[in-house]
Amino acid sequence: MITVKDLHKSYGKLEVLKGISCEIDASQVVCVIGPSGSGKSTFLRCLNLLESITSGTVVINGHDLGDRKLNTSAVRQDVGMVFQQFNLFPHMKVLENIMIAPVKVAKKPKAVTREKALELLDKVGLASKADVYPSALSGGQQQRVAIARALAMDPTVMLFDEPTSALDPETVGDVLQVMKRLAEEGMTMVVVSHEMGFAREVADRVIFMDGGVIVEDGNPAEIFDNPKEARTQAFLSRVS
Amino acid sequence: MVGDFVQFLPALAKGAGTTAILCIIAAVAGSLLGLVIGLMRSSSWAVVRWISAIFTNFLRGIPLLIILLFTYFALPLLIPGAIFSQMVSGAIGLTLFVSAYIGEVVRGSIESVPKGQFEAAEALGMNFAQKFRYVIMPQAMRVIVPPWVGIILAMIKDSSLVSVIGLVELTQAGKIVGTSTMEPLVAFVLVGAVYFVICYPLGHFGRWYEKRLKASGFNVPHQATATDILDEEPGPRVGGNQ
Amino acid sequence: MTWYLGDLIPYMPLLLQGLWISIYISVLSFVFGSVLGLFAYLAKASRWRVLRGISGAYIEVVRNVPLLVVLYLIYFGLTQFGVNLDPLWSTLIALTINNGAYVAEILRAGFEAVPKGLREAAHALGMNSAQTFRYAILVPGIRNVFPAMTNQFILLFLFSSVASVIALPELTNQLLRVNSETLRTFEVFTVGALLYYVVSSVLAIGSRLGEKRLFRW
Ligand SMILES: Nc1ncnc2c1ncn2[C@@H]1O[C@H](COP(=O)(O)OP(=O)(O)O)[C@@H](O)[C@H]1O
Ligand SMILES: [Mg+2]
Repeated sequence: MITVKDLHKSYGKLEVLKGISCEIDASQVVCVIGPSGSGKSTFLRCLNLLESITSGTVVINGHDLGDRKLNTSAVRQDVGMVFQQFNLFPHMKVLENIMIAPVKVAKKPKAVTREKALELLDKVGLASKADVYPSALSGGQQQRVAIARALAMDPTVMLFDEPTSALDPETVGDVLQVMKRLAEEGMTMVVVSHEMGFAREVADRVIFMDGGVIVEDGNPAEIFDNPKEARTQAFLSRVS
Repeated sequence: MVGDFVQFLPALAKGAGTTAILCIIAAVAGSLLGLVIGLMRSSSWAVVRWISAIFTNFLRGIPLLIILLFTYFALPLLIPGAIFSQMVSGAIGLTLFVSAYIGEVVRGSIESVPKGQFEAAEALGMNFAQKFRYVIMPQAMRVIVPPWVGIILAMIKDSSLVSVIGLVELTQAGKIVGTSTMEPLVAFVLVGAVYFVICYPLGHFGRWYEKRLKASGFNVPHQATATDILDEEPGPRVGGNQ
Repeated sequence: MTWYLGDLIPYMPLLLQGLWISIYISVLSFVFGSVLGLFAYLAKASRWRVLRGISGAYIEVVRNVPLLVVLYLIYFGLTQFGVNLDPLWSTLIALTINNGAYVAEILRAGFEAVPKGLREAAHALGMNSAQTFRYAILVPGIRNVFPAMTNQFILLFLFSSVASVIALPELTNQLLRVNSETLRTFEVFTVGALLYYVVSSVLAIGSRLGEKRLFRW
């Protein structure tokens, strides 16, 4: 589903990603962990072209991101993204937030989209909030709307960049619950998160990044209980 | 033709000097008055707060030109026998005008000091004067510089309006020179250039300073706008139990 | 000195007429100036260096030179080229030029303040640049710009009083005339100040109400 080979990314002279390679299969849930500044967000953003790739190859669901004739919009419609700061459109009601991209970008009929949007809202537990503005919602509720908004485009892959780190502790659970359901339904997911409980329970794989490279890559039990690398051990002892 | 012009340069220079004197007086007096007006907004007496609010609101809702015409033509009538020179009237008008804007900025910068600072000062038993003198104003003064510079810059430009009551400052000197040389274009371009040379670096300084403050995490109050007077009742800026 | 408004009553129609001209020139130059400001803003944000330079120079000159000097340049200065503009046109041009530069800055500040995340979210949903601007940036940008624009209009209205010096019969000019005819100096300028004050306050309150109604989010 996702193939990354020797991905490099630099901002001017600063090299942030120093050769990332990995394979992610369909329906896999991968958690990416690592200290702040290690390049996790940059890696994720390269996967849907929010950042340009300096060198290396990335192929997602058949789209070669290095291809000059690539249809950027098509890739992004295929790859949903959820941000730390939700980034809901503040001037649109919840339902409009969810419908805007299917209607305007994918050109789907309004009536069908509306049905689907309401279904998605129900799925994230916010059916009653269709008609309010984002500012009237808690952080956790906003993040669930953001997930529904991304799902409305029928993506084959979902990327999550620290979806719960801007939330009040009591609203984190609902968001993780939604993500867990999504994983169970077979969505391919790449999740940058420090929710170790979630990673342990839901993830098929955990990738530990540090200094722009993948230091360790394995199943959650291995990484958390038996980290091989000294850097992984040091990181885990600091966060837990 | 531009050659003729050289003999009029002293007249322009003299006008520029008058503008400078006028602006310095108004900047100093306006800042002091503005400080008082701004502090009055933190008073625990409602009357004092309201006087300050009404003064600020009213002066910012009328044109500077009207204030100047008032201080020149009408104000002397209040004091029997008094005749104000154009310089005096101009300085009074300009001072009143900027003090309203500076008052708002003082209020904004006092508001930018965290509430905990007021509470801490009060908890130590400080009175109003001590609290502001030792705790609040030293912190407020740091963020006041950029908007203050903005107001002074605007005032320098606005001081050209004092020409309307007949003071021969820079703009009026330009007008006179323009008429007598029959070269108004050159005269006004020259006059504009003088204002530009003074104001441009000032503006740059203000923006540079603001960037620096923001980079170190300060909350810089913006320049007063016509609508922010509506933001709230003129309440006292105090923490805790007063 | 005794306070007596009676002498002013016959002149009230004249003053209101002057006020009307003040409002009229403010509205016109605000509209023209906003269009000019939009172009100046687009030029300043464009890829072409020359356009950016021209727009930047225009904005800086206007922000650092008194409006009165610009007005004199247009009204007196241009006569050297044989261009004799009447007071109304001179005022409209001067106020438009002035307003355009400030509007350009207001637009820049307002649109820069739209959170970067909205653009990214729109991109991530597959929107192209035009769609991103239309659906994610435009409305939040307008909201940011709205209070500053109404404030700018109020300032423009107050500054339109400078037109009195080139004998445009707007409010301040009429006040000067009524003052010389009635010699009720104190009363004349008090009434004048109140007229300006009432209009600018109504505008300020209207702006607040409009903001609340337009942007419920
Ligand atoms: N737009 C950018 N320009 C320059 N440097 C950047 C940019 N974005 C991120 N960086 C740098 O790249 C490094 C990795 O950032 P990021 O991917 O956000 O790390 P993480 O998400 O793991 O905390 C950091 O050192 C950061 O300062
Ligand atoms: Mg990050």
